[in-house]
Amino acid sequence: MKWMKNLKTYVPPSFVVERDDYRCIRCKACVEQCSFDATFYDEDEDRVWAWNANCVGCNRCAAICPTDAITVRRADPTYRYNHNWNGHVDSLKKRAIFGGTPVVSMGNDKPYPIYWDHMLLNASQVTNPSIDPLREPMELKTFLGRKPDSISVSDDGLKTKLAPQLELDIPIMFAAMSYGALSYNVIEALGRAAKEMGTYYNSGEGGLNKDHYKFKGNIIVQVASGRFGVHKDYLDVGSAIEIKIGQGAKPGIGGHLPGEKVSETISETRMMPKGSDALSPAPHHDVYSIEDLRQLIYALKEATEYKKPVAVKIACVHNVAAIASGIARAGADIIVLDGFKGGTGASPQVIRDNIGLPLEVSLAVVDERLRQEGIRQYVSIVASGGIRNSMDVVKAIALGADAVYIGTAALIAIGCTMCQQCHTGKCAWGISTQDPHLSKRVNPDIASKRLINLLEVWALEIKETMGAMGINSIESLRGNRLNLRGVGLNEKELEILGILPAGE
Amino acid sequence: MKIVIVGNSVAAVNAIEAIRDRDKISSITVVSDENYRAYSHPLLPNLVIGEVSRSEERFYYRRTGFYEDNKIKTILGKKVTKLDVQGKLVELDNGEKLEYDKLLLACGGKPVKPPIDGFDLKGVHTLTNIKSADKLRRDLKNISHCVVVGGGLIGSKVAEKLAKKGIKVTLVELMRRVLFPVLDDIGADYIHKELKRLGITLVLNDSVSALDGDERVGQVILKSGKKIDADGVVVAVGVAPNIDLAKDANLDVDRGVVVNDFMQTSNENVYAAGDVAQAYDIVMGLKRPIPILPLAARQGRIAGLNMLGAGVKYKGGFPMNSITIGQTSFISAGIVDSEELEVLSIKKGNEYRKFLVDEDNKLKGMILVNNVEKAGMFNWMIQNRFDVSWIKDAFLNSDFGWKYFNKAFRVLRLDRKIK
Amino acid sequence: MRIVKIREDNCIFCHLCEVACIVEHSQSKDIIKAFKREERPIARCTVEFNYPISLSIMCRHCDDAPCIEACQNGSMHRDERGYVVVNPQTCVGCWMCIMACPYGVIKRDTRREKWGLSTKCDLCPDRVIPACVEACPNEALTFEEL
Repeated sequence: MKWMKNLKTYVPPSFVVERDDYRCIRCKACVEQCSFDATFYDEDEDRVWAWNANCVGCNRCAAICPTDAITVRRADPTYRYNHNWNGHVDSLKKRAIFGGTPVVSMGNDKPYPIYWDHMLLNASQVTNPSIDPLREPMELKTFLGRKPDSISVSDDGLKTKLAPQLELDIPIMFAAMSYGALSYNVIEALGRAAKEMGTYYNSGEGGLNKDHYKFKGNIIVQVASGRFGVHKDYLDVGSAIEIKIGQGAKPGIGGHLPGEKVSETISETRMMPKGSDALSPAPHHDVYSIEDLRQLIYALKEATEYKKPVAVKIACVHNVAAIASGIARAGADIIVLDGFKGGTGASPQVIRDNIGLPLEVSLAVVDERLRQEGIRQYVSIVASGGIRNSMDVVKAIALGADAVYIGTAALIAIGCTMCQQCHTGKCAWGISTQDPHLSKRVNPDIASKRLINLLEVWALEIKETMGAMGINSIESLRGNRLNLRGVGLNEKELEILGILPAGE
Repeated sequence: MKIVIVGNSVAAVNAIEAIRDRDKISSITVVSDENYRAYSHPLLPNLVIGEVSRSEERFYYRRTGFYEDNKIKTILGKKVTKLDVQGKLVELDNGEKLEYDKLLLACGGKPVKPPIDGFDLKGVHTLTNIKSADKLRRDLKNISHCVVVGGGLIGSKVAEKLAKKGIKVTLVELMRRVLFPVLDDIGADYIHKELKRLGITLVLNDSVSALDGDERVGQVILKSGKKIDADGVVVAVGVAPNIDLAKDANLDVDRGVVVNDFMQTSNENVYAAGDVAQAYDIVMGLKRPIPILPLAARQGRIAGLNMLGAGVKYKGGFPMNSITIGQTSFISAGIVDSEELEVLSIKKGNEYRKFLVDEDNKLKGMILVNNVEKAGMFNWMIQNRFDVSWIKDAFLNSDFGWKYFNKAFRVLRLDRKIK
Repeated sequence: MRIVKIREDNCIFCHLCEVACIVEHSQSKDIIKAFKREERPIARCTVEFNYPISLSIMCRHCDDAPCIEACQNGSMHRDERGYVVVNPQTCVGCWMCIMACPYGVIKRDTRREKWGLSTKCDLCPDRVIPACVEACPNEALTFEEL
């Protein structure tokens, strides 16, 4: 025992590491793998012990244990049951003991309704034929960008001059996750997968390491309030530029990359001194209105000779539809809607858990509003924040999205177990860390293979579902809310989502 | 082609293997005055006390059937008496004459006999071949106190083995420490302790002036005047290259048979390898005989290849030794004691590490006691004249290993891109 | 000739290559029994760590193996697959191979009664893919032509 528990700082552990001592062969793999000091080996006793208090439930030890001797269990609450206070006791204690508001990561984990799970898809029976995607062509190709009001065609082809478009082989992109939040190897894997699958990954607000310029053609570069690593070459490498106004996990607040995570390469990439905190202000200090946003959009278009679409990413908030309308009118080519379940590398808990709007609802109202105003073709809509599976993608597209961003889902594919410790920089799975030893845990060869597998499987699943609906092009599914039916939703919710209840 | 190999030990066997790797047709004849297939000389002390017997495979240098499988004609128990380089003939002691196109002299060394009175008395032994080992083994029952003369590799090993057998042993060494050329004072101290623990009496800085006795040796008289009652003596003061044959044939000889980088003697059809050869020492920068097994093997192989005209160069060797006495193992290489070289050393508990680096930052020698498993990495640096300026600080770490190397170099080496 | 390629950028210092090696060279080839009931073999690979470097190192199976050259009685030899292996029946533990090995990958097993035993990677003669390669969770060891 190198450490003694102290009542003064005691908060009951969230997890219990159970170790079958007979099966434990003392190989100490778990000890080396635990980056949270929750496991240690005692030479005198020849035993491996756990510090449950430190365990974050990432399950790295259980995964690595060659004899399957470890089980990590959620600690049962030992307080008297209280529906009102359970779950709040410990977070209250933490604030009282340690001071400061707890910082958390990943997305909102509270039991808010998940509208995806209240929508069912249609299928063809008798009156129209379903399509077998293994026999017949299925089109998932998607173009993001401003579409013309009308087109004219001549014998030589299209006569109308099109605005720059992003061409996607599959309507799924990797969401903005910065180098800094994620390790080098994860960025490498995302880039390789995006290249292989004909889609894009978003650099996030941390700039782009020179090594990753090789993914040119599959990168969307982000310009956020911190403007880290934004320069001519950076903008040139991107196929599109995304202005990040807000993020679903922390609408209305900025970002903070602690100085200890600002390593040599990060400092170079972000163009800031090594070891200094990287602070992203809450607002862009040059964007206080839609007019200001228009200036920024055109400044970026001007800088890239109007060759690249410019996207604007906002967090879904209460008046999202009006904001989206303004953004469309400000000249954006793509609007990214980030729902309140979107993830983050670090966010104050209260913000993450209480601010924002469900993506499903926002998507429906934005699409509807833009249609009503006759400006839907000005912008493409990318849905983001809590897309968990291929059916969420299908439903999002049916609700009006052109494409989706996946962030958390991609990280899970790489190994993430959603232990919500990204902000600590000690990710035991090597994903959200800058520790050169920990980040080796992601092998870009394996990780990119997994991402490719994931996208390929999702693409197949989407095609299967479309086939069932009798649709052979993703274009025909877009905004096709007739293929959605709501279950367990009230009338108002159905109205806002713009879908019929099941049975109607 | 007719190839004749004089000698039947490490160099000879490796030459055979090298030749047969490329040439299955040429006739190869091996002539040796010993009547056994190639065996392991370092195991002779074990053979003496019966730890290993001649019926065990582990005693032999190659498995049974080696000569048959490689189609080697063996003429064992015959001595080569004359070498005629003009007529390309060797003459055996039974008068038989063998013609050759290429000849390999791999006839090793013979024990140095110090000029001591009473050397012919009963109970006085040497230990360089099976015959002498057998003689000593049969005589063991008559020995209760044995004086081992010479604290070299064979001397200390045989002293250890005899002591293990329960015989009272006195080890007499001329220099101030045992294993003089392969250890420094601190390193030898570990061995001194081990020998003493085994009950061996050490007499250092002294040598034998005479052996006394009627028919059998009864007393050993030292230069210092000290007298030791003993009924057995093992003289192990070293081996000298067997150069007589080459000398008589007017080949270039010095302390050994002088060879060029291709293991060729002054006659182009005669090669020499092993303990008999005087080849380049990469550490000292001169030619000298280094009678150690790994070099004999390498030289034999290179000689064999060059007899077929392969033109393989011998890059030079250096002394290296691995010995275990009692519980202490050590490996040393190159120059182990020097005033001129930069010395890095550390002694902690039963571990001792010492490295000698010259002004060009080339490793020239090392001693590792007890923690020896990475020894070969240092020997690689010595052999390849590796610039150690950037890594020598890590040499003294007990956990020295690949992790201390520069990554690019490490990757290339482990991928076998740099040999 | 395929050998184990070391990809140190992927090594996560979990020691599972060593565990797999021990199991493969144990009597029962059962992980629990190998560690709990039987005399545990010595792992043929070694994981070295010097933050942030970590890598597993084992015999490189040299073409002109100095350990074979240095062996005093032919115990260190090339087997029919072309890999460098020790014959435990004849090895006398003189550590001459250790002295010669340019990679420092031969280990001393001093637990036998009479003779020491040089212990080194034999590239798992009973397997198609060596145990360490199969056990590595991050493909830091791969079995391929060099």
